[in-house]
Amino acid sequence: MTAKVLVLAGYGLNCEEETLHAFEYNGLKGNIRHINDLIENPAELKDVQILVVPGGFSYGDDTGSGNAFAQKMKLSLMDQLKQFVARDTLTLGICNGCQILANLGMVPGFDSKYGERLVAVTYNLTARYQCRWIDVQIESASPWLDGASSMHIPVAHGEGRFMMDDKTLKTLESNGQLAVKYVKPDGSAAGGQFPYNPNGSTADIAGITDQSGKVLAIMPHPERGMFTWQRDDYTELKDAAQREGKTLPETADGMALFKNAARYFEVAKKDVA
Amino acid sequence: MPRIEVLSHPDDGRAKQIEKALNAKGKKTSVRVVDVYTSEHEKIASKDFIESVSNPVTQQVNVVFDNFDWALEIGFLPGVTDNVGHTAQEIMELIGADNDNQCYSARLYLIKGDVNKADIEDLSEDIANKLIQRVSIKDAASFKKDGGMGEIIPKVVLDNKGAAADEVNLDVSDAELEIIGKDGIENADGTRRGPLGLSLQYLHAIRDYFQNVEGRAPKDIELETLAQTWSEHCKHTIFASPIDNIKDGIYRHYIKRATNDIRAAKGEKDICVSVFSDNAGGIIFNDEYLITDKVETHNSPSALDPFGGSITGIVGVNRDCVGFGQGAKPIINRYGFCLADPRTEPEYYRDKNKTIPILPPKTIMNGVVQGVEVGGNCSGIPTPQGFVHFDDRYVGKPLVFVGTIGLIPREINGKPGHIKGAKAGDKIVMVGGRVGRDGIHGATFSSVALDEGSPATAVQIGDPITQKKFSDAIVKEIRGKGWYNGITDNGAGGLASSVGEMAEQSGGFHLELEKVPLKYPGMSPWEIWISESQERMTLSVPKENCQKIIDFLAKRGAEATVIGTYTDTGRAHITWNGETIMDMAMDFLHDGIPETPLTTTFTEGGEAEPDIAEPSDYNQTLLEMMGRLNICSKEFVATQYDHNVQGSAVLGPIQGKGRVYAETSVSKPVLTSEKGVVLSQGLFPRYSDIDTFYMAASALDASVRNAVAAGVDFEQLALLDNFCWCSSDEPERLGQLKRAAEAIYDLAVLYGTPFISGKDSMFNDFKGFDADGNPVKISAPPTLLVSSIGVINNVDQAISLSPKAVGDVVYLLGETEDELGASEYYDHLGHIGKNVPKVHGPRNVMLYKIYCTAAKKRLISSALPVSHGGLGVALAKKAIAGQMGLDIDLSSIDLRTDKALFSESQGRILVTVAPQNVKDFEKAFKKFHHVRKIGHVAHSHKLKINNVLDVEINKLDEAYKAPLRDY
Repeated sequence: MTAKVLVLAGYGLNCEEETLHAFEYNGLKGNIRHINDLIENPAELKDVQILVVPGGFSYGDDTGSGNAFAQKMKLSLMDQLKQFVARDTLTLGICNGCQILANLGMVPGFDSKYGERLVAVTYNLTARYQCRWIDVQIESASPWLDGASSMHIPVAHGEGRFMMDDKTLKTLESNGQLAVKYVKPDGSAAGGQFPYNPNGSTADIAGITDQSGKVLAIMPHPERGMFTWQRDDYTELKDAAQREGKTLPETADGMALFKNAARYFEVAKKDVA
Repeated sequence: MPRIEVLSHPDDGRAKQIEKALNAKGKKTSVRVVDVYTSEHEKIASKDFIESVSNPVTQQVNVVFDNFDWALEIGFLPGVTDNVGHTAQEIMELIGADNDNQCYSARLYLIKGDVNKADIEDLSEDIANKLIQRVSIKDAASFKKDGGMGEIIPKVVLDNKGAAADEVNLDVSDAELEIIGKDGIENADGTRRGPLGLSLQYLHAIRDYFQNVEGRAPKDIELETLAQTWSEHCKHTIFASPIDNIKDGIYRHYIKRATNDIRAAKGEKDICVSVFSDNAGGIIFNDEYLITDKVETHNSPSALDPFGGSITGIVGVNRDCVGFGQGAKPIINRYGFCLADPRTEPEYYRDKNKTIPILPPKTIMNGVVQGVEVGGNCSGIPTPQGFVHFDDRYVGKPLVFVGTIGLIPREINGKPGHIKGAKAGDKIVMVGGRVGRDGIHGATFSSVALDEGSPATAVQIGDPITQKKFSDAIVKEIRGKGWYNGITDNGAGGLASSVGEMAEQSGGFHLELEKVPLKYPGMSPWEIWISESQERMTLSVPKENCQKIIDFLAKRGAEATVIGTYTDTGRAHITWNGETIMDMAMDFLHDGIPETPLTTTFTEGGEAEPDIAEPSDYNQTLLEMMGRLNICSKEFVATQYDHNVQGSAVLGPIQGKGRVYAETSVSKPVLTSEKGVVLSQGLFPRYSDIDTFYMAASALDASVRNAVAAGVDFEQLALLDNFCWCSSDEPERLGQLKRAAEAIYDLAVLYGTPFISGKDSMFNDFKGFDADGNPVKISAPPTLLVSSIGVINNVDQAISLSPKAVGDVVYLLGETEDELGASEYYDHLGHIGKNVPKVHGPRNVMLYKIYCTAAKKRLISSALPVSHGGLGVALAKKAIAGQMGLDIDLSSIDLRTDKALFSESQGRILVTVAPQNVKDFEKAFKKFHHVRKIGHVAHSHKLKINNVLDVEINKLDEAYKAPLRDY
């Protein structure tokens, strides 16, 4: 089948191009769509299998990150969004997209009750924007994360701290929705410790899913860690490979999400790297 | 009137940082943060609005506050850009309020604990700037008695009942003319409108023109227009004027001629496509794209409002990129700050009565760092490259450099991408934000020294999201449709500058000023015309396409308005509701400026070489050197800047396992092309104390060498010059300027690295008063920033600074000489000295060419150019970056060990080479007789040098990272 990707843009979202590239690299086809164009023609969602709210700074993070953009979507697209996730589709929110999905209540979506705001993604404990490479551990049955157990990818945000009440946290945990957690490079728990947990996030949470696992909201940027040349240790890896006479793999950890999306819809990669 | 108060949870990160700051002053407190929204429209109290500005999980809205001792509220003064308020206003429109209902934001801190009113006032000094913000403080009792903070709506109310334009009588005494030039046109009530920055000579030329040619007195708007257009900031008069026997002036004789000579010599290998003629310079990237670059300064505004000055700077230079050719896409931002020591609090005032202190260096540093952060991050442009440099002479006037690299197809709509031009008959279309009083006199203000009379309205705050809405629409969607003929940025000088410049292409313009959309009513026509309100661009659009552009931008949440017509009448013509208020010859506007020949003198500076004792403890000396401000890590800046958005980062600002702050970056802006962009810069202001010739030559060499070390193709490397001078009305300063220009002409031609863009800022002086009320003038040292931009043919040839493996051989390329004049080492010991580093051009050319070949063959494992602090610092940085020991023997350098370690001789690169590549490496460099094998990467965790220095890496690491870690 030919699954179609729609990556949202507009009002300060800014990672749409590299995010679409990530899907296209895996043989998927799609479009970047300005939010106002989608609001004008929401029926387009019916032809789409993968919806992505990419990273960025919608409305400059003013009034709380993702808040204004979520309101814009809620006022004009909420029914269509609910219909979209009710179909066999995948939804991804990265960074600002993660904040938007949380504010829309597309996650955690307990018992498919989308629209309920139970999780906040708020100011880093350092009150500073943090752009750095981190390690995450993955425990999830989400199709987005199939086969991945850890990833070395970057974060870049001022408001990445997941907060919620204890009841929500317990439910997320028992449902297996705490998909992505910050860890130390050796794989042990970050335990809230900066910089391994870069924002003070509750329970070291870096990303959560809805109950079905098909909606993923993740703060780190897999699309900035999908090629080996993007990695912070690229020159170290390159040098080591040269000494050993090996060739470096073209792709890196972050590519897993996009590859999984293609696999989920049985799209074969156009050229095998 | 509704007021929405959003109380955040007690553990809010912003609150914690305030607590931390108070705690550092010995005050134990707990702080709560409340975000406040006000508006005159009742929709603000609606459920939808409240949901859009709060989060039910972590925040409460309009609850009763208790359990606090002090309330501190900070909001904006009327007319100051309030981005949060602007978003709130958009939300109101989204939920059904009609347009144009202003919303305002403020932040309230509720503070409990061991603090008194003075402490709260102290805190407000740290976190608010009274030039642009209002501060209210109440204790809990009065807060309760008053029922809260009270309602403050910072609405702008202007009352312009005057004529559309006033005539200005220039037929007055020279003394009166001088007052007009310095303090501005007189209002009816005797007040003045602010500096025109026009000299007596210029005012005479204007008076004569209007008397003899137009036969009337000039109108205020005409005089303001000429002041803008002829300002040093816009016209670069000092660079353009004849100087001594150089009739064609510094710019044409040295800078432009260097580029012309290089291009001619390179012939078919010329990389330049568009130089000095557009908003940025453009060179070839690959068959499909050009890359563009522009570096701006925003110094004067940053002294008064560091955050506003710096964000306006970065967002402004982004527009220079969008305004290149038919519109380039911003792909990388870069920055540079020259500041005073943030750990000091020098006492200086703007006024004699000591009521207006300068901002503390720490406040300036935090503000300028944050401005680029918010501007760049919100715009989705990575900021991987820059520097922070310290010298206490930047105390009154910091230097803020901001640059943007762009990407543009070589062909757009069947035409070269860099070609554009307004045609007679095209409509003048203003795109983006609305016009307010912000930035009035910004261009004339930055052309004079900063003193008490510096206008507060010259300060403005950028709005990156408003800009992103239209700039994305232009470069990603509209550009390919061929709807416009010309595009340029509205920067310094506002419409007066952008329309005036574009009209040179068509041969005139007619502007209907009343059509310009305003932020608030009541502005005078001349204010609208010269306002520097940000986030605007000007397009020239054939009539039939105007509505298409307006409609398209409306769908992207951006405003566009037709405000006039480009003509070929040769006249600059403005009407206000049909009445002509300006009508003068384009020729006079652009070329009527009188020539001012300049003369110079030059005296070499410095002192005799000092006789210093050899350090008794080299470990200690190196540790102290590592902690010097110009050497220590600036990681706190790098991690605040999003350096990997757009997915293009290859080599970033933090390199190696040990996280060393690097000043060179490699990016891969086209994901499907293996080519990369290499960026760096060089800057050595202290060398000016001895000789600006070598200050400039060193800046250029370092800028080139940094890029070469990272793997750039030496043949595809271009430069940008930013002169930040001082007192440029003094012959001695002009003499220093001329020498600097001579130096970079010589070296650029030798290297074959053309200048493609530049900018100068000539009066970086602070005139004020010291703690005793005595007048002082503090001049920034003559500073030349040379920025480099080049292409690496495949990013897999990129070389980082960190050593990769134990056993690798360490080589020093280039000569180390007795050149410690104005070095970090001498400064550390309280000396200047005399032996400033010279630059050996021909030797360096040979090195860089061979290095390029070796880099392409991947013979070099790591490379770090030797810079501030010399070889000792470079070795330490390498050890820290790799977290690997180094065993070093410098006995082949014929200098006393401290001089060998800390000499700042240029032209040197420190490299490590894998054992299996040593043979090929040495063969490649056989013809270059300045290669020294100085040691190897060791198993130990120590840096060992010459049996005199033996220090653990973790100590070096701490010394290097501690000084600025907590900023």
